[in-house]
Amino acid sequence: MKTDDLIAALAAQPAPQPLWLPGLALRIIGITALACGVFLLVLGPRADLAAALIRPEVVMKTALPALICTIALWLAVRQARPRLHPRAGLAGLALPLGIALGLWLLAFATRAPEARFADVTPPALAECLGLILLISALPATMALRILQRGAPTAPALAGALAGLASSAGAATGYSLFCMQDNPLFYVTWYGAAIGIVTVASAVAGSRMLRW
Amino acid sequence: MTNRETEWSALLQAADAGDGRAYARFLHAITPVLRGIVRARGRNLAPADQEDILQEVLLAIHAKRHTRDAAAPVLPWLYAIARHKVVDAFRRRGTAVHLPIEDLAEDLLADPDPDLLALRDSNRLIGQLDPRAAQIVRAVSIEGETPAEVGGRLGMTDGAVRVALHRALQRMAALVKGEDR
Repeated sequence: MKTDDLIAALAAQPAPQPLWLPGLALRIIGITALACGVFLLVLGPRADLAAALIRPEVVMKTALPALICTIALWLAVRQARPRLHPRAGLAGLALPLGIALGLWLLAFATRAPEARFADVTPPALAECLGLILLISALPATMALRILQRGAPTAPALAGALAGLASSAGAATGYSLFCMQDNPLFYVTWYGAAIGIVTVASAVAGSRMLRW
Repeated sequence: MTNRETEWSALLQAADAGDGRAYARFLHAITPVLRGIVRARGRNLAPADQEDILQEVLLAIHAKRHTRDAAAPVLPWLYAIARHKVVDAFRRRGTAVHLPIEDLAEDLLADPDPDLLALRDSNRLIGQLDPRAAQIVRAVSIEGETPAEVGGRLGMTDGAVRVALHRALQRMAALVKGEDR
C-alpha cells in the first residue's frame, strides 16, 4: 500500500470522540466505590465506627489509603495520553508514603515492645489481605480496561498506577470494616495487599495496555 | 519548530471539528518528518521496510488520535507516539539487514531535509561516539559533505572515511538498541 493511499483512507474516517481524563477517573472511582459499597453492604462497617473515628490513628487508617487512591488515580489517568516522560509526577506519591512511614515509626516508638505486633495472627492477616484483594479484583481489572482506550507509552507503569488506585480505594472501603487500629498492623498489611495488586496490575498492564 | 506547532495544531483542530481534508493535510505534513525519524533510527533497513514502519506509525497516530489534549502542544504528543511505535516496530523486526556501505552513504547524502526531531535524537547519539567518528557522521549525514571531502579535510582516504562512517552508524544503531528499556 502506498503511504498516500493510506493517508487518504485514514482521512476519510470520522473524527473520534476526544479522550476526557476526568471521565476516565470518574469511571474508575465509580467502580471502586461500587465494590466497596457492596462489601460494606454485605459485611457491614464496624459497629463502633462513629465512636472510633475520633481517634487520629483510626482516621488515618481511612484517610491515608484515600489519599493514595486520589493521587494514584490522577497519575494513572494521565498515563492514558502518550507521554515523552511517563515518570514525571510520580514524586507526588512520596507524600502519602512519607506519612505512612512516619505513622509506622511513631507507633513503633510509642508502643510497648510486647504490644507492637501482638495483633498479627494468621486469621487477622488472612482477613485483611484476603478481603482487600477480593474487593480490589474487579476495580483493578476494570481500571486496566478503561485505560485501554488511551495510549500509555509506559504500559507497565500505567497498569501499576491503575492497580495502586483501585487497591488503595478498596483499602479505604475495607478500613471502615476493619477493627485493627494499630498502625504497625494496618500500614504493613494494607500496604502488602496494595503492593500485591499493584505488582499484578503492572504485569497485566504490560500486556493489556500495549498498542 | 514554532511554525510547525501552530500549523499542525490548527490543522488538527479543524480535523477534530470534522474537516477530513485538514486531517489529510496534517497527515501529509507529518509524513516526511516521521520518515526522517524512521530513517534516522533504521538506516540499515531497506527503504520498503522503513516505509512499512512509517505506515505503522501513521496508523497508530490515527488509532490514538483521540488521546491528544487539545489544550496542549501537538509536537510532544506526536513525538511520544512516534517514538513508542518506532521502538516497537524495530524491536519486533529483531536484527536488521546489512546494506553495502556505498548504499548507506548514498542514502545519507540523499536525505534532503534532516528533520529537527530526528536530528536532536541523532545528535545525542552522535555525542556518544568517539570525537573523530562523531565528526565524520556529522559532516556526512548532517552537513551533507561527501566522504571524499571529509577525507581530504581529515587526511583520510575516501574508503577509510566510508568504513569509519559505517562503523559509527553500526555503533549508533547498537546505542539505540541499548536504550530501549
